[in-house]
Amino acid sequence: MKRKEASLAASLIVLFLTILLSLVFIGVAGDSLSSSISGFFKGAFGSAYSISEVFVKAIPLTLCGLSVAAGFYSGFTNIGAEGQFYMGAVAATVLGMYCPFLPGFLLIILGIVLSFLFGGIWAAIPGVLKAKFGISEVINTLMFNYIATGIVGILLQTVLKAPDAYFPVSSYMPEGMWLFKIIPGTRLHAGLILAVLSAIFMYVFVWRTWAGFKIRAVGSNRRAASCAGINVSLSLVLSSLLSGGFAGLAGFSEIAGLQHRLLEGMSPGYGYLAIVASLLGGNNPFGIILASIIIAVIQVGSQGMQRSSGVPTAISNIILGLVVLLILLRPVLVKALSKGDNNG
Amino acid sequence: MQKVILEMNHIDKSFFGKKANDDVYLRVMEGEIHALLGENGAGKTTLMNILYGLYQADSGEIIWKGEPLAIKSPKDAIDRKIGMVHQHFTLVNKLSASENITLGLKTKGYPFTDRASLDSKISEISTRYGLPVDPGKRILEMSVGEQQRVEIMKLLYRDVDLLILDEPTAVLTPSETDDFFAVLERLREDGKAIIIITHRIPEVMRIANEVTVLRDGKVVCSKSIGDLDEEKLSQYMIGRDLSTLKREERTGGNVLLNIDGVSLEEKGKKVLDNLCIKINEGEILGIAGVDGNGQKQLAEVILGIRKLGGGSIYLDGNRIDQLSIEERKNMGIGYISDDRHRDGLVMDMNLEENMLLRSERSGFLHHGFIDKSALKSATEHAISEFSIKTHSSGIPVRLLSGGNQQKLIIAREIHDSVRLVIAFQPTRGLDIGASEFVRSLLLSERDKGCAVLLISADLEEIFSISDEVAVIHSGRIMGIVRNNSDVDMTRIGLMMAGKEVM
Amino acid sequence: MAELMDIIASFLASSLRQAAPLSLAALGVAYAEKAGILNIGEEGIMLSGAFFGFIAAYFSGSLFVGIISGALGGILISMIHAFMCIKVKANQTIVGLALNFFTLGLTSFLFLLVFGQNTKLPSVASLNPITLPVLSKIPVLGPVFFSQNILIYILYLAIIVFFVVFYKTEWGVRLTAVGENPRAADSAGLGVNATRYVSCIINGVFGGLGGAYITLAQLGYFQEDIVSGKGYIALVVVILGRHNPVFILLSAMLIGFAESLQFSLQTMGIPLPSQAFSMLPYLIAVIVLLLSAGKSSSPAFLGIPYERDKR
Repeated sequence: MKRKEASLAASLIVLFLTILLSLVFIGVAGDSLSSSISGFFKGAFGSAYSISEVFVKAIPLTLCGLSVAAGFYSGFTNIGAEGQFYMGAVAATVLGMYCPFLPGFLLIILGIVLSFLFGGIWAAIPGVLKAKFGISEVINTLMFNYIATGIVGILLQTVLKAPDAYFPVSSYMPEGMWLFKIIPGTRLHAGLILAVLSAIFMYVFVWRTWAGFKIRAVGSNRRAASCAGINVSLSLVLSSLLSGGFAGLAGFSEIAGLQHRLLEGMSPGYGYLAIVASLLGGNNPFGIILASIIIAVIQVGSQGMQRSSGVPTAISNIILGLVVLLILLRPVLVKALSKGDNNG
Repeated sequence: MQKVILEMNHIDKSFFGKKANDDVYLRVMEGEIHALLGENGAGKTTLMNILYGLYQADSGEIIWKGEPLAIKSPKDAIDRKIGMVHQHFTLVNKLSASENITLGLKTKGYPFTDRASLDSKISEISTRYGLPVDPGKRILEMSVGEQQRVEIMKLLYRDVDLLILDEPTAVLTPSETDDFFAVLERLREDGKAIIIITHRIPEVMRIANEVTVLRDGKVVCSKSIGDLDEEKLSQYMIGRDLSTLKREERTGGNVLLNIDGVSLEEKGKKVLDNLCIKINEGEILGIAGVDGNGQKQLAEVILGIRKLGGGSIYLDGNRIDQLSIEERKNMGIGYISDDRHRDGLVMDMNLEENMLLRSERSGFLHHGFIDKSALKSATEHAISEFSIKTHSSGIPVRLLSGGNQQKLIIAREIHDSVRLVIAFQPTRGLDIGASEFVRSLLLSERDKGCAVLLISADLEEIFSISDEVAVIHSGRIMGIVRNNSDVDMTRIGLMMAGKEVM
Repeated sequence: MAELMDIIASFLASSLRQAAPLSLAALGVAYAEKAGILNIGEEGIMLSGAFFGFIAAYFSGSLFVGIISGALGGILISMIHAFMCIKVKANQTIVGLALNFFTLGLTSFLFLLVFGQNTKLPSVASLNPITLPVLSKIPVLGPVFFSQNILIYILYLAIIVFFVVFYKTEWGVRLTAVGENPRAADSAGLGVNATRYVSCIINGVFGGLGGAYITLAQLGYFQEDIVSGKGYIALVVVILGRHNPVFILLSAMLIGFAESLQFSLQTMGIPLPSQAFSMLPYLIAVIVLLLSAGKSSSPAFLGIPYERDKR
C-alpha cells in the first residue's frame, strides 16, 4: 500500500475502532442499542436548544484547545489550561464586582484583556521556570491547576463571596458585562464569536508573523533556532503566555457569557479535555474548532443517551480516552499497512 | 608462526545506493596490532560495525578462528570474544566503573553482587595490563582518558581475543596516548589481536604491525609496516598529491576577525587555551587539526552559542564577545555548522521557512508579518542559483538529500551583507561534485572581500583553498603557515600531533 | 507534656495514613521512572486499583481478594500504558492523560452499571488495624507505626525490598543503566524493553495497591474520581523523594501531614478556608521542583522510547 493510502486507511481504522468500541460499551449498558443511539443523536441534534448546547460547550473547549496548541508550537506541554481558565475567570469576576460603574463595552474589553493577562501569567510562571531553569512544565502546570482551584475556593469564601449567598459563589456581574445571546431563548452566547476570532488570530499569528514563526522554530528545533539568532527563552515564555491567555479568555467567556458569576467547579474539566481537542484537531486552530464541536457532541449526546436508555454519561470520558489512544496508535498502523512499499 | 584469527572477505555494504564497503578484505593475526587507516568516510567504521554486529553486510564472509561466523548483534560478537570500543563511549554516567565493567554479566550470587570480589578481579586485570581504573569511581567524575580505560576494561573483563578500537587517540592528550600505547603493547604480548581505526599516519607507524588502507570503500593496500613509510601511507590514504584549486595568490585587506587570547573550560578541562588568530578581509584561514581539539568550541564561541571563559573577539575592530547571537549575525556573520540537522535546519519546516532563519530578512517581513510571496521567490531564486534538487520550495527539508540541505544552508548564510563566513566541516557527507561547489563558492566569497574561517579535519580541503593554515591541538594554535607551494607537510603533521615545531 | 506527645502521635499516625496510598503509588512510579518510563497515567492506575479493589471486596466479602484485585486493576492500566510507550513509542505524557480519562470514564461507568443510581453508596468494612506484638509497645512511635492495617505493613516491606533492589543488587544497577543510557544497556546485552515492561508491571501493582488503600482502608466505599489527584501527587512525591524509597515515605508523610492538618483545623472550627490547606501539597510540590532545578534525580532517558537503529 502506498503511504498516502495507508495513512487514509489508518485514519479510517481508528474511526471505525472508536465507533465499534463505543458501541460495545453502549450495548452493554443501554436498554437497547437503537434507543441509545437515537437518544444520542436526539440529545445532540434533536432541537435548536440541543444544538445550541453543543456550541455552548464547544466555546470554552475551543479556547482551551487553542491554549494547548499555542504551547505545543514551542514545545511547552501545557496541562494547566484548567487552572489558567480559572485565573481568567477570577480576573473577570474581580473586574465585574469592583468596577460595576464602568460602561458595558469597557467592562467587556477590559475583561478580555485582564482575563488574557491573568491566564497568561499563570502559564508564564511555569514557562519562565522551563526556559530559565529547565524545570519540566508538565508537573508544574498540573500543580498550578490545583493551586488555582484552591485560590478560587479561598476567594469565594472571602473577598469574592456574594454577601447574601449561603454557598461559596460570587455576586452576579453587572448586566452590562453580559455577552449577548446569539440565539434568543438558548444559552448560546457571543463567546462563540470570541472563540472564532481567537482561532483566526492564532492562525495568523502562528503562521503569518515573525514572532509566531520563531515560536514554531523553537518548538521544532531549539538548537537550530538559537544558532539562527532566535532568543529561545523569550519565544518559549511568549508561547506560554499566549497559551495561558487563551485559556484565560475561556474563563472570561464563561463568566460573561454563561454563568455571569464565579462558581466552584465551573469547568467540568475543559482544560483537560482541551488536550484531546488540540490533539484531535491536529494543533490547527480551525481543526481545534471542529474537534471541540465533536467532543461537545459526544458529551451532550451522551447526556441524551443517559436520559433515553440509561447509559451512564461517563461513556464520554471512555470514548475520549479511547480516541486519543487510537490516534496515538495510528503511526504504527500506517507503518504496518505501508509495509513492502518503502518508496514513500 | 602466528595464527590467523580473523578473515573478512569480499565484504560489500551500501547505504542508500552508495557503496560504503566495496569488496573489502581484512586479515588479522593473533598478537598483532592491525591499523585500519583511511580518511573520514573511507568505510573503516562501517567495516568494523559489520564485524561487531551493528550492521549486516550485503555480501561477503567473516571467518573467525577458522570458522565462518554470523553475527547478528553486539551480544553475539561479545559471546565470540570480539569487543569494540566506539568513538562515542557507551557508559552509564551515574554508575561506577566497576558496575559499568560488569554490566549485563550474571556473576556469582546474582542478583546480590559481591562487588568487593569483582573489584579485586578488576584491579588484578588493571595491574596486569597497566590500566589504572578506580572501580568505585563514578563515570561522571572521570576524565575522558579514564572513561576510555573503563571501556577497554569492559572488554578485558569479558576476556575478548580481539579488540576493535575506533579512533582511540582522538580524545587523548599526547601523554595519555603514550600510556595508552604501552597498554596496547602489553595486550599484544599477551596474544590479543587489536584493530585500531585511525586516520593518523604517525600513530600507525608507531604502534601497528600491519596496516590496511581503505579509500572510498575499497582496500588500496594491506601490508606489513616494515614495507611502508609515512609518505607511502599518505599516498595510499589520500590517493594523489594534495591538489589545489585555482587560487590567485593575494594579500588580504584589513584585519576583520581578531580572536585575542580566547580561553574556555568545560568540565574542568581547558578546551580552548589562550587561542589567538586573525583573519583579513578577502582571506581564507584554514584550521587544520584532529577532530575534537577545540574546533567546535572555537566556531561556537565566535557565533556566541558558547560563552567565553576569557579573552576577547573583535569583528572589524568592534568587540563582539558580549553580544547576542542575533546581534553578531546582524553584523555579517554567516555560519555553516558541522551538524546541519542539529544546528542548521529545522527538518520539519519547508525550504522557505528554513530560508527565513537568516539574519538578513528585512525583505521578507513587513511590520512583523511574513511576506510569503517575497520569501517564496527568494527561495526559488536560491534553488535555481544553487541548483538545489527539490520538487518545490514548500516541502519539508528532511526530504532533501544531505548535499541539497547543505546548499540551502549556504544559500541562506552567505548573503550579500555577509563579511565573515564560519565554515565548519562544510563538505562533510557531501559527494565530490557538491564538495567542489562549496569550496569554489567559499573562494568566490573570499574574492569578494569576505573573510572565511574554514575548519576542517580534511587536510586536502584545507590546503586546496586556504590562504593561511593554522593548526589546532588541544585548544591551542600550534602554528600558522602561509599556504604556498613549499608547505612542509611533515611539519603540519607534527603540529597536528601536538609537537612544538616553531 | 504527655498531652503534647499524644497530639504528636495522633498527627504522625494520621500523616502516615494519608501518606500510605501516596507512598505505595510513588514506589511503583519510582521503579518505572528509574527504567525510563514516565507515568502521568498514575492517576488512572490508582483509580483502577481503587475501583477493582472495592468491587472485588464487595462481592467476595474478602478484603484479601480486594487487595489482590486492586493490584490487578493497576496492572491492567499500566500494561496499556507500557504497550503505548514501549511498543508504539507514543508521547508518554499524552498516553498517560488519555488513560486517566479512559479510567475515569470506565470506573464510574462500570460502577453505575453494577450498582445503578443509588442514594446510598454501597460500602465494605475497611481494613482493621493489626497490632504487632512487641514493636507496638515502643513508646509513642510503637502505636503509630505498628498498629496499622495490612497495606501499611506491605508498604514497610516494600520500602525495604525496593531499597535493597535499588542500591544493593545488580537489578538496581541494570535498572539505572536502562534509564540512564539505554544504548549502553543494550550493548551490554540487557533487554531494555523487557526491563521496562517489568518496571511497568511493578508500577501497576503498587499503583493499584495505592488506589485500593483509598477504598479498602480509608473510606470503605467507591465514587467517581475518588483518587482526585493523588496519582499526580505521587509523581511529585517521587521527585521530592529523589527516587529513594525511604525519602519517598518521608516526602509522602510531609504531604500527608499537610492534609491531616487541614482536617484537624477544620474540625477545630478555625475559620480558614479549607482550600488554604488542601492546596498546600501542590504548593510544596512546586517549591520542591523549583529548589531541585538542575539537580534532578530523574534518569537521563526518562520518557524517551528506545530505538536501537537510531543514533
